[in-house]
Amino acid sequence: MLQFVIRRILWAIPIVLVVSSITFMLMHSVPGGPFDAEKALPQAIIDNLNAKYHLDDPLWKQYVDYMWGFIRFDLGPSISYRSRTVNDILAQQWPVTALLGLASFGVAICLGIPLGVISAIKQNSLIDYGSMWISMLGLSIPNMAMGPLLIWIFALNLKWFPVATWGSPIHVVLPAITLGTAFMAMFARITRASMLQVVREEYIQTARAKGVREIWVMLKHTLRNALIPVMTIAGPAFAGMMTGSMIVERIFAIPGIGKYYVTSVGNRDYPVIMATTLVFALAVVVMNMLVDISYGILDPRIRYN
Amino acid sequence: MKRIWLLGLIFTLVIGVLAVGQVKTLYWNLATEPPTLDPNIATDTTSIQVIQALFLGLTDFDDLTMEVVPELATHWEASEDGLTWTFYMRDDVIWTDGTPVTAHQVVYSVKRTLDPATGSSYAYVLWVIEGAQAFNNDEGGTADGVGVKALDDYTVEFTLTQPAGYFPSIAGMWICRPLPHTVVEEYGDAWVNVENIVTNGAYELGEWIHEDHLLLYKSATYYDLAKVNIDQIYCYMIEEASTAMTLYEAGDLDSTAPPLEDMDRVKADPVLSEELHIAPDLCTYYYGFNNEKAPFDNPLVRKAFASAIDRQSLVDYVLKGGQSPAQTFTCPGIFGHVDGVAEGIGYPYDPETAQAFLAEAGYPNGEGFPEVTLMHNTSEGHSKIAQFIGQSFMDTLNVQVNIVNQEWKVYLATCREDAPQIYRMGWCADYPDANNWVNEVFNSKSGSNYANYINPTYDAIVERAARETDPEVRLALYQIAETLMCDIDAGIVPIYFYTIVNLTKPYVVRTFAPLGGEHWEQWDILPH
Repeated sequence: MLQFVIRRILWAIPIVLVVSSITFMLMHSVPGGPFDAEKALPQAIIDNLNAKYHLDDPLWKQYVDYMWGFIRFDLGPSISYRSRTVNDILAQQWPVTALLGLASFGVAICLGIPLGVISAIKQNSLIDYGSMWISMLGLSIPNMAMGPLLIWIFALNLKWFPVATWGSPIHVVLPAITLGTAFMAMFARITRASMLQVVREEYIQTARAKGVREIWVMLKHTLRNALIPVMTIAGPAFAGMMTGSMIVERIFAIPGIGKYYVTSVGNRDYPVIMATTLVFALAVVVMNMLVDISYGILDPRIRYN
Repeated sequence: MKRIWLLGLIFTLVIGVLAVGQVKTLYWNLATEPPTLDPNIATDTTSIQVIQALFLGLTDFDDLTMEVVPELATHWEASEDGLTWTFYMRDDVIWTDGTPVTAHQVVYSVKRTLDPATGSSYAYVLWVIEGAQAFNNDEGGTADGVGVKALDDYTVEFTLTQPAGYFPSIAGMWICRPLPHTVVEEYGDAWVNVENIVTNGAYELGEWIHEDHLLLYKSATYYDLAKVNIDQIYCYMIEEASTAMTLYEAGDLDSTAPPLEDMDRVKADPVLSEELHIAPDLCTYYYGFNNEKAPFDNPLVRKAFASAIDRQSLVDYVLKGGQSPAQTFTCPGIFGHVDGVAEGIGYPYDPETAQAFLAEAGYPNGEGFPEVTLMHNTSEGHSKIAQFIGQSFMDTLNVQVNIVNQEWKVYLATCREDAPQIYRMGWCADYPDANNWVNEVFNSKSGSNYANYINPTYDAIVERAARETDPEVRLALYQIAETLMCDIDAGIVPIYFYTIVNLTKPYVVRTFAPLGGEHWEQWDILPH
């Protein structure tokens, strides 16, 4: 297993290089620069700013300098937020997003998997139809509608939760449900489909023939094997949740990193574009590695070589 | 030393609480994270709003009259040739660390803005100072060669390259505000962090939780402390207008800008309509014609299109924010504004005149007129306006208009390199003088002149107005300039003057600052 982990970590190096070079080329090939504004600046001023941020260096040098900084965990200054470095932005905003992502993932897993299990056990019953209807609803309502809807019901009318902003555990509830609902629905549907497939396997029939109680057949034998496809999508989904959602963070005024994924592109804030993209790429790499490790735990027949 | 002042601040606050019974807190929405609190490099309204509360300028603006009024400088004078400006400063203003605010710190700030290593976007505004451009452009100039010097601790003198009647406005801008040079030098870029910053304004920085909130306390060291009523300002950074509106209605915010989609509801609501304020803003929304791109290289075509925009209906049915139809570029409240509607400059909505212009240009009833591209940057608001005006062009002139939108920076690059036949743009005042408008935007040498509007007579007039010191002569020159650009040449078509649309709780006694930088120190919160 250690060999497997080391191999996967080494694999991350070419992935980071490819992602960073493609991102670097794309962001520099898009028209417009960080200092374009409605009030056009004189060229001499733009020259000063380019010199300050080393944007007057050849592109290859800018790329090499950036990657050298990246290796040393120095992600450079933000061009848009001029009193902050990208390290500052990540250190201050990312933990907020990570906490929200963790809570959302909790909502998605803790509600989605039981919903899928119940649906599978009670296939074609009213409970099954009800659960799947709820999950379909969760998938169909976009965050930009779900957020205001929850605010209207639970904050404005019932006054159980704050309307928005951040700062205490109670502030996490509505945004976590908003962000987690779609994933919950996805987990529920995949768990149900996977359970129904596994339940037809011969070893399940064997377990039943041996007189194992139905609840144990479902939880120990069926669910465990049915979780493999769920884990496959849970990894990238978790990476997505941990790196932020601009929409949910915006609706609930959460000081997370999500908005930087979008605004950095609009602002042509090159160091922030690079950092957010690489953080996301690394999160996906790490999560996929954890997913692969989890396969072996769920099904010992799977080997790490 | 800082701790002593902090203790002093806490003591003042405690005494204040005991005396009044409650801390007066204003809950404000900055709408975004301030990109910086460094006055020398700030460019955006959010940063400038906070800087206004933290740092004093030599001069300031009166919110009602828009006149330049004393702040750090008690008075100022210009030499007879208009080239030397001397500002006499108060001697009772101190920083939050207890040291005095002096003329040397004004000199330091001006030179730091101009230092190419600072990378200040607004440094070009100071190029009017002798030696400033050479230093800023790294063309052999030095900091010592810049025409700003402290005659003594409280007197600062500027030497200009040309007479500039508007210079007191510039001297009060954030880029010239005195800075605590020892703190800036000690901490570098981190000097604005809450643990390092030293300020001299009515408020001081208490907390800055990035992307979440910023807390300002009334400064115990402010020279005019007795006049400051609000003890602290809690600034949220809520970007989503509908979320801010919900918080406002829930009583968590004292003021907000209502989203456009809520305007009808706000106006109909008996409570919200009473809290709605619509005040003039110093910005103009306009459509530019690319004067070099056929068929808009023909002034008659430009006049036809300018006459085909029903501005009042646009305001009533699309914008709904009480904006004023504009026929000239420089907006009301700016020295040099010309009321085009009253004085018959520019083109009001007149379909028959529009058709006549187009026929005279050789396109009767739009026959043979090529397809027109009307471009705007991607935004729901600009899209609604473009659809309304584009339809108006098609209905009135019987021409085909293609509405195209581009992402903001791509759009700016397009406008800069090869502007479309019709493009959307806006302009807001940096300082309340028409020089900032007709000269800085549409002088043929300006980088913002995407319209390629080139008229040597116009250039000569706006450049002469910049040098002229007699206000009456300047006004007359700006009237000619507006007549040339918006009427005779129809180089652009101004559409409307912006308004500030705002909801404020009835217990907040406030003013509106059209130039940005609200004067919180002049506000009050009544018991509620």
